[in-house]
Amino acid sequence: MKLPTSFQKIWAFSVRSALVNRRNVFAVFEMLFWPAIGIFSVGLLTRFLNLSGETVTFILIGAISMNTVQIAQLDLSYALLYSVWSKSLKHEFIAPIRLIHILLGCGLVGLIRGFLVFVGMAVLSVWLFHMELDRPGPGGLAVFLAGMFINAAIIGALVLALVLRFGQRAEVAAWAFSYLMLLLCGLYYPVSVLPAWAQALARFIPLTYFLEYFRHFYGFPLHSSRPLLYGFSLSMVYLLISYGLLHYTLGSAFRGGILLRLSE
Amino acid sequence: METAISAQGISKSFRERRFGPWKTVLSQVDLEVAPGAIFGVLGPNAAGKTTLISILATLLHPDQGRARVLGLDVVREAGRLRQRINLAAAGAHFLWCLTAEENLRFYGRLYGLGGRALTAKVEGLLDLFQLADQRRVDFAHLSTGLKQRLMLAKALVNDPELLFLDEPTSGLDQEMAQHIREEILRLNRETGLTILLTTHNLREAEILCSEVAFLKEGRLAARGSIAELQQRLGLGDHLSLVFRVVPAALEYARLPGVLTHRVQDARVDLVLDRAEVRLAAVLEAVSHGGGELAQVKLKPVDLEEIYREITH
Repeated sequence: MKLPTSFQKIWAFSVRSALVNRRNVFAVFEMLFWPAIGIFSVGLLTRFLNLSGETVTFILIGAISMNTVQIAQLDLSYALLYSVWSKSLKHEFIAPIRLIHILLGCGLVGLIRGFLVFVGMAVLSVWLFHMELDRPGPGGLAVFLAGMFINAAIIGALVLALVLRFGQRAEVAAWAFSYLMLLLCGLYYPVSVLPAWAQALARFIPLTYFLEYFRHFYGFPLHSSRPLLYGFSLSMVYLLISYGLLHYTLGSAFRGGILLRLSE
Repeated sequence: METAISAQGISKSFRERRFGPWKTVLSQVDLEVAPGAIFGVLGPNAAGKTTLISILATLLHPDQGRARVLGLDVVREAGRLRQRINLAAAGAHFLWCLTAEENLRFYGRLYGLGGRALTAKVEGLLDLFQLADQRRVDFAHLSTGLKQRLMLAKALVNDPELLFLDEPTSGLDQEMAQHIREEILRLNRETGLTILLTTHNLREAEILCSEVAFLKEGRLAARGSIAELQQRLGLGDHLSLVFRVVPAALEYARLPGVLTHRVQDARVDLVLDRAEVRLAAVLEAVSHGGGELAQVKLKPVDLEEIYREITH
């Protein structure tokens, strides 16, 4: 893999993703409106309930995580949907590209957008609801961000695989996947309040461990002795599985003619 | 000399719906295309033209058979092959919210172009296809003709050695279609680019193609140059003679190269195997017989006739 050539291919998808986002009013809405609504509604609810500072932080971390993961995964999830909607999929795959170019190119834009959403929501939380974001320190914050972005990448890769299998019908999965995951991983509540079967499922979601890790700086108990080890190990396993699945569905698309059908 | 395209026994079937019965779209298709040729793949709807072009362009794997394009296997060496080929298809489709220039830059980068090389290539293509004035217009707002021109420009972004054109002038007005055809001929003439094209337009195939193949229900029904197909199918050129003075009894059937004839009053219709060779001899025989011609009309055999013969 020649680096300059591969860099151009990755950059092609980054530039395209950035241009589409810049020209799409809904993309701007996704980044500004919904996250702001999320922080205001959750923050005001905690104020109404007169919760303690730690509990407010617990809940606000959930709100920030939800929006950050949601936005960060969208560019990856939509990477092929843009091509399906514009019926240009075959023109991309007749070029000498690899899946990794799409994943890295669109993932980079997702990461930047996700980071901007995180910063925006964090500023609002600190400013309006006195969240103590600095308590985990830069290291803790960086690990938490990395965990969220890896989870976003896993969701994005799985949605891409679904797009190659089911076409436009997979669009709904781009949202549904992340909401389902976020519901189980203890977003606004400790995992311990979930039914036993849901708690068992939550233990298979890496974000559960990253949320626990970040919240333990605010005095909430850890349910596993090594949350980062579990979180990153599970993330690597899921990343490999989702990449393998994506690779397999692309091969199937070449064999079954799905690439052509999605270009009509 | 190595062939540009060499395919043997290509077969492909699809399910009509999930768990539905399999439908054979291509069956045991063999094809050879010489370097530098413009080769036409013709046939009615659902004959398998797009499936064949998609297999050769690495977008679809065949169920059976093997194909090599530019000496590379279309399945096992697809990655290397894609750097050297490109495709333009009917009904140009690109990302709607990117401008003409941005779309070209996107595809240029997919072939590893960057920096000045990318800028020079994009500028050259915008000029070549007269798109410079529309460079900042979103794809969605371009006219059909401009979209098709952009599609052809994209297909040349990597300086391909072999170009696949799937109905390149479909949906265009006559003037634009003619412009695109001239561009295809110019590219072939000036750069030696090998072109494989599918078309419904037989006149277009006549203008562009040095050789054609007819697909019928997924099978290769015939292939060759128009002259070869004419000879193989026993089709002739039509010569129509209208006399001012009818010649003395002339045995038209015995004239050289006459395949069939019909006499009706002062008009004689002949079908000749090769009009360009036989015409002089026929006219001389008529003159010897005392005939005086009022009108001579010659209509060479065309692809439409060959197409009818093969597909019906």
